[in-house]
Amino acid sequence: MTAHAILTAEEHGDLRIRTARGAALGDAIMAALVVPAEFRAVQGEYPILFRLDQAREGFTALALFGFESGENLFLRGQEWDATCRPLSVDIQPFLIGRSEDPDAPAQVHIDMDSPRIDNAGEGIRVFDEHGRPTPYLEAIAEKLGALDEGYRAAPAFFAALRRYDLLEPFTLQVALEDGSTNRLVGFHVIDEDKLRTLDGTALGALHAEGHLMPIFMALASLSNLSALIARKNRALGHG
Amino acid sequence: MDRLVSRIVIVGGGTAGWLAACSIAARADLAASPPLQVILVESPDIPTIGVGEGTWPTMRGTLARIGIAEPDFLLACDASFKQGTRFDGWRTGAAEDRYHHPFTTPLEGQPRDVVAAWAEQARERSFADAVGPQPHACTLGLAPRQRIMPDYAGALNYGYHLDAGKLAALLAHHATERLGVRHLRDHVEGVERATNGDIVAIRTRASGTIEGDLFLDCTGQAALLIGEHCRVPLIDRTAQLFNDRALAVQVPVAPDSPIASQTIGTAHSAGWIWDIGLPTRRGIGCVYASDFLSDDEAAASLARYIRAAAPDCDPGALAFRRLAFRSAHRERFWQGNCLAIGQSAGFLEPLEASAIVLIELSLDALLDNFPVERGAMDLHARRFNALFRYRWDRIVEFLKLHYLLSQRQEPYWRAHRDPASVPERLNELLRIWRHQPPSRTDFDAADEVFPAASYQYVLYGMGFPPPRPGPIAGNPASVAAGLRQVEHRARSLAAALPTNRSYVDALAAEHPAGPAPAPTLTPAPARLETL
Repeated sequence: MTAHAILTAEEHGDLRIRTARGAALGDAIMAALVVPAEFRAVQGEYPILFRLDQAREGFTALALFGFESGENLFLRGQEWDATCRPLSVDIQPFLIGRSEDPDAPAQVHIDMDSPRIDNAGEGIRVFDEHGRPTPYLEAIAEKLGALDEGYRAAPAFFAALRRYDLLEPFTLQVALEDGSTNRLVGFHVIDEDKLRTLDGTALGALHAEGHLMPIFMALASLSNLSALIARKNRALGHG
Repeated sequence: MDRLVSRIVIVGGGTAGWLAACSIAARADLAASPPLQVILVESPDIPTIGVGEGTWPTMRGTLARIGIAEPDFLLACDASFKQGTRFDGWRTGAAEDRYHHPFTTPLEGQPRDVVAAWAEQARERSFADAVGPQPHACTLGLAPRQRIMPDYAGALNYGYHLDAGKLAALLAHHATERLGVRHLRDHVEGVERATNGDIVAIRTRASGTIEGDLFLDCTGQAALLIGEHCRVPLIDRTAQLFNDRALAVQVPVAPDSPIASQTIGTAHSAGWIWDIGLPTRRGIGCVYASDFLSDDEAAASLARYIRAAAPDCDPGALAFRRLAFRSAHRERFWQGNCLAIGQSAGFLEPLEASAIVLIELSLDALLDNFPVERGAMDLHARRFNALFRYRWDRIVEFLKLHYLLSQRQEPYWRAHRDPASVPERLNELLRIWRHQPPSRTDFDAADEVFPAASYQYVLYGMGFPPPRPGPIAGNPASVAAGLRQVEHRARSLAAALPTNRSYVDALAAEHPAGPAPAPTLTPAPARLETL
């Protein structure tokens, strides 16, 4: 964690960030964290799946890019073939920093070990020659704010899913065109049958708390699984 | 029977000759019968003089059509990006006296509204700064593009600064190795003519006669074909543009020094000094009028500039090269089956780097209106001559404009403002521009060399007053949002673009076979074998 630094114009006045996409820049990832507030934005491109954390205490939501570790089927050389990316991907190599005091304003931190830190002078500047944030940093700060807000709202969403027992384990059989059959395990999805049986009171409560839309968005996102399988087949040289 | 035009003979191998060879061969239809044959005859012992080291944005299209990848070009020609020209000291000579003529055109809108919006809402900024983001990027020494962009695409419009000798070598290699151009190193000793005056063939010292259907005179100032043999006279333009000397020098630069994003043209008492930044050197030269300044005074002026602009460099240790020229162009550029391209067609002081672009425009005009058979050639020649007489006139006027609005009081500058030295059309336009900004109405030919925007940049850069509101209402509010966007875009580009130095260094690091930056006066060894 030592490479995480608070971003300041004094320290990082000449800093440039490599904003291209690519495996060498850390984009070869199978999935990335998404927050319920952005389900609507990402559900058009990626399947949204849920995973129990290792302590089996809480769920996180993930946008799926591939079927094995390090596989990002949206990545083609220097291109990320999608109209949008999850906030947690877009804000790299920045992070939200918080002090002990939960009410203190969040800070922008940066991971100075990230391959996105540019040393060749070809990346995007974070501060201009006068030390003012560039439009790029302004956009990053906006995304960090949205991510932070979404992240802090997420526990209530997952609590609601548990309250109504709306998550079920998910196993996907993937028959690829090279003849192999693969299984994607370890994820959860919205239990559609349970969702159907919820009465008006329960639905009304979910809706009042703003959870209903992300639930349906997550459901709808599963139609991207077949497109992702098609990408996998193309990557294998089939289809 | 009318002969089909298929044998193109190019005489002369400088920038003009090799650009011609590549452009023609690259556009030849390989399935044509008879196929187009291009031969370039170059005298083995006449050194080519670089006609200029600044190009226009047109060069990107030219190189792309020829089939040369941008990184290869940049590395082989020791090139960097040119985003326009900055004029220092032209108005008064004071320390803060400078303005930009960027390549990117002003924001969208009626010229009347754009100029009025600047004058009313953004007068604290220069015109060029208010209407486009490019001057800001130039001030920061930024490249106009990122390396991940496709070849020849830019966030800002750009041309190049380059080593003209290396460009000729690169084009020669490409022409002969890739495009099937025949290269003959031989002396041209004479010309065989038909009764109608056409050139039938050129006689060479060692290779006999070379017949052709169309002969391109790219022999530079010698004008071997168009001048010596076709006897087409020159039209003198020294009454308008009386600079006739240049002292040129190459100043080495440190490997990590910033590279300027634009040509810098600095006025002095009797002319101006060019300053063109390449990765390994700066080309600096003093242009002057011998009627107003002695050679020694010019050398002193140049040395003074170098001491101020490149303090680490001792001007006494540099070799100044003296060039004599006169501003003039042919009465006709195409006569019979002989077409002059490059300096054989004419020469003007390189204030707006018009030399190479005129070569490109001539080749575009030739290839877009190719004389398929001899019978069509006279018609094409007449059209070509009319078009290029128009273009040379417009260039003379535009160059003259740079001098005309100056308030400098030296005799040279006062002489430049003598009404007798000002083309009548320019005088008329200036009278009109008191009441309306330069617009497309003033320059209505297709493919004007200098569009109205260029005139706006010079006019308002030199302090010409923007028109006052008149009886016809404008709508400056329509461009108010545009003005704000310019500021935002300038900030975004300043953040996103690398410096020129970072760009060329990263490029060189990726192509280690390229020439290493060598901070010496001797040219770095050419990557390509000279032919």
